[in-house]
Amino acid sequence: MNDLDDFLSLIRDELGIEVGSEDSERSLDEIPGWDSVHLLWLLSIVEQRTGRSVSLPDVLEASTLGSIYSAVAG
Amino acid sequence: MALPDLARADISLSPPAPSDTTAPSDTTAPSDTAPSDTALADTAAGPAPRPPAGDPLALLRTDAAVTRYPQVAALLTTLSEPELARAGQLLSRVDPGRVLAEHPSVPVVSVAITAHGTVDPLVPALTGQAARHGVLVRPVRTTFDSYVFELSDPGSSLYEAHTDLTLCLLDPRIVFDEVGAVWRPQDVAAALKAKLALLTRLVETFEATSRGTLVLNTLPLPRHYPAQLVDHRSRAQLGAVWREANAALLRLTENHPALVVLDLEPHLGEGVGATDPRLDVYARAHLSPALLAAYAREVGHLVKLVAGRAKKTLVLDLDGTVWGGVLGEDGVTGIEVAGSYRGEAFRAFQRVVKQLGSQGVLLAVASKNDQELVRRALREHAEMTLAEDDLVRVTATWRPKHESLRELAELLNLGVDSFVFVDDSAHECALVRAELPGVAVVHVDGDPALHVSRLLRDGWFDTRELTAEDRSRVSTYRQEAERADFLDSFSSLQDYLRELDVTVTLADASEADVARVSQLTLRTNQFNLTTHRLQQADVQGLLRDPAAQVFAIRSADRFGDNGTVGAVLLHRERETVVVDNFLLSCRVFSRGIEQACLAAVLDHARRAGARAVVGTYRPSARNGVVRDFYPRYGFEEVEPPGRDGNSGNSADQTGGGAHPEAIPGGTTVVFRHDLRQPLAVPDHLTLHTSITEHTSPATGQGDTAGKEDPQ
Repeated sequence: MNDLDDFLSLIRDELGIEVGSEDSERSLDEIPGWDSVHLLWLLSIVEQRTGRSVSLPDVLEASTLGSIYSAVAG
Repeated sequence: MALPDLARADISLSPPAPSDTTAPSDTTAPSDTAPSDTALADTAAGPAPRPPAGDPLALLRTDAAVTRYPQVAALLTTLSEPELARAGQLLSRVDPGRVLAEHPSVPVVSVAITAHGTVDPLVPALTGQAARHGVLVRPVRTTFDSYVFELSDPGSSLYEAHTDLTLCLLDPRIVFDEVGAVWRPQDVAAALKAKLALLTRLVETFEATSRGTLVLNTLPLPRHYPAQLVDHRSRAQLGAVWREANAALLRLTENHPALVVLDLEPHLGEGVGATDPRLDVYARAHLSPALLAAYAREVGHLVKLVAGRAKKTLVLDLDGTVWGGVLGEDGVTGIEVAGSYRGEAFRAFQRVVKQLGSQGVLLAVASKNDQELVRRALREHAEMTLAEDDLVRVTATWRPKHESLRELAELLNLGVDSFVFVDDSAHECALVRAELPGVAVVHVDGDPALHVSRLLRDGWFDTRELTAEDRSRVSTYRQEAERADFLDSFSSLQDYLRELDVTVTLADASEADVARVSQLTLRTNQFNLTTHRLQQADVQGLLRDPAAQVFAIRSADRFGDNGTVGAVLLHRERETVVVDNFLLSCRVFSRGIEQACLAAVLDHARRAGARAVVGTYRPSARNGVVRDFYPRYGFEEVEPPGRDGNSGNSADQTGGGAHPEAIPGGTTVVFRHDLRQPLAVPDHLTLHTSITEHTSPATGQGDTAGKEDPQ
């Protein structure tokens, strides 16, 4: 996972939610089909892929996909 | 940026990691690279470096998950555990309503989920597991930490959903959230005692309110609790009170037939972590994803059972599966079944197979071998654990395995979908998967020491309660073979039937028959007029319902007692006796038993003052054999009174049970017998009846008939 686009593609593949770069700064509440359970699942996949541990509190406090990506990318 | 896999499971938010890394897939080893012939499963479920997100799951990301749902089960059979978790995640986004609109015959089981913590992570796992069995789950989620409210209030949304299964997920926090920061074992003991009393009350309310099944689980004790105690005496005390509470929880099932308690301890014993510290704290998910996955796998088999998709027969390959070596080359004395290292591994596997057979699982062999040589091996090998008598059929031929399985299904008069097939050959496994997608395929390969865990990984033969018929099933099927030989010695069927000396008893079902009657509705697919599946609580509800009657059919003949082979469910509506269902085990077809029992039902109705008997035929994929059952015996087809084409009575009367397999195109047909002409009991058999007369027609209608809540 090299960049935000990879991250968005992961969301499409693992969650089946159609998101594009235009969605990265939208509030998570505005993304159809999104809920917090998806976030946890996504993080488990990210950790598996990258072999790094993600800070959950940082991610849980994020309010957009872009800020989640920043927290994940560390 | 290719980074190494996250190895430290204890710090990972891992999606369900395989509990034993040697057998990560449900039925297939990761090294199984055999080409799978199923159109969907062109997957290379290869080891280590995970395949890129894509291939095997691609279908599930598209609308094909809906349009091709009936093929999803076949796709899932070859997935590894992590892939299955991902598949469940994607499937949980599929709207069950859309799938049903496209494929109305897909069985659906509704499942309510309630818990102390959040229930959401369980839904994808459960969706994936049910999909493996071809069943669609309709989940009913309750809000966070609402289990006490939902289960104690008969008017709650949980009860209003009338689900087939209700999962109440229990975790250690239900106890430790109540003891404060500083606690001693006696505080935990007091909290456990209070929780047990509460749970007992909830179970009682559930049984009085719902006709479904309630699923609880034992409480895991994560190490960080005993480890907070510095003295060994207190730790021992905590361990003791905790296990006593779990034992009491498990014992609740002794008095509560609607209750299932899943014991999580054996999963913990296999190395599945109880909690994930981060999810526990940050997400209020108090059980680890791996433990939830194991739990969902067990619940998946309960779902399969409710949907009437029970597995009945274990079909075994021989060389490399049941014994080491190749019989045709090594000879009877050369195969490994005991003594040697590998021999002991095969012996352990044979012992488990024999143990399953003792509980009503039919054991059969489908092997590419010489039939006579196989017989000799089973009879003459001094150290063989499995005996010829343990097996209902041995099919040793050189034909493809799927043909042998089809033939076996015909001989046993069972659907091939009720088979579990075990083979060490990846090729044979792939072939059977492709040709017979309904067969559960267990691929055992390589080290025979792993055969047992591969076979037992799934509760293929899980059932709610063993019945007397289960324990004697093998001998019953073997008697059947003797009957077939006996039949061959007669020139006419009538002569045969006369000499068979059949005795039929039709009697009021009692408490003792509840488990068997429920089982008949769940297992019987052919002679099942409405395919209305009833759980034990449903049957119990009918026994308590003054308007309903349940008759058990027993039969015996010169070869022995067949046990309880069928049931008739009926209820009274004013001057009409309505037959809600008529069931007969496939073992006893074509002996006049159904005619004798129907004759007794008509006679019973006439003497009780009824003017007519009405029966319904609801087509399913498997019950075409009884399409003409009613007309054959003097019933006439009538226009159904309900607008929807259903008679409107059976579903209401026996409400709560699942109707999973209706064929939408097939029309439900209602038949009526006016009781003018009595039906004769075939003269080759003897009929005994012991049934209560419904003397007053008034008892059969008004507020009891059609009422949903038996209380």
